[in-house]
Amino acid sequence: MNPQDAALAVCAVIAVYAAIRVAFEPDTLRKLPFLNVLSFAIAGSIALLLPHPLSILAAAAYFVGTTLESNAIASTYAGGLDRRE
Amino acid sequence: MDISLLAFVHILVAAAVCWLNFIVIDLLFRLPAAGGVVGATAIGRHIEARGGALPGGIMMGNIVSSPDASAGTLLAACGVFIAGVPGGLLAALLVFIGNRICHDPGYAGTTGAVSATFIVSGFTLFGFSPAEFIAGMVIAILTIQGISHRHSSRLLAYLWRVRGG
Repeated sequence: MNPQDAALAVCAVIAVYAAIRVAFEPDTLRKLPFLNVLSFAIAGSIALLLPHPLSILAAAAYFVGTTLESNAIASTYAGGLDRRE
Repeated sequence: MDISLLAFVHILVAAAVCWLNFIVIDLLFRLPAAGGVVGATAIGRHIEARGGALPGGIMMGNIVSSPDASAGTLLAACGVFIAGVPGGLLAALLVFIGNRICHDPGYAGTTGAVSATFIVSGFTLFGFSPAEFIAGMVIAILTIQGISHRHSSRLLAYLWRVRGG
């Protein structure tokens, strides 16, 4: 097993673990940190599976997109649509 | 040593290095002080309600709501893995754009990406692969966001007090 395969195995195991934690956490806002771990694992897997210059863009676009979604979900639950503190 | 065992040992070392990089930079940029958006504060309050500490919870909320130094470290490791130092710096630029998209006025993510670029490329001189830092950063974020929010938020709040608030 080369370093790339070992890294991919770690990312895949953590992604499955995080997905299970997201599914079983009853509180919506507390699901989001687990979802964050899932996003990290998938963004890392994208780069490990596709070592191509555009993969940096794909991983960053995926990661920023999921972050923005979590941001929107959390802020909507907190009662503000576009209110900053 | 068996090559795959060596890779897993490298991943654990990389996880410790990534953990220190993103925690130090996030604390320097005062992430536990206040939520960048209302959602981050709300996540902190929900973690506090389950027995966690509020400053640590707010920092975890901020990590969820905008690419911080942990995201910068991950994407810089991806960039260095694919294209060396220029790839890492491209990732830093993308994190900077991501921060602006997420209404984050701070520079923790960009700083974390630039520092991680040089740390990861420096470790390649000692036989580490940038791929090991990608897995290392996933393990590092797992310890904070994915195991016990109560304990990790208390640890972050303790480190925040050590920093001086």
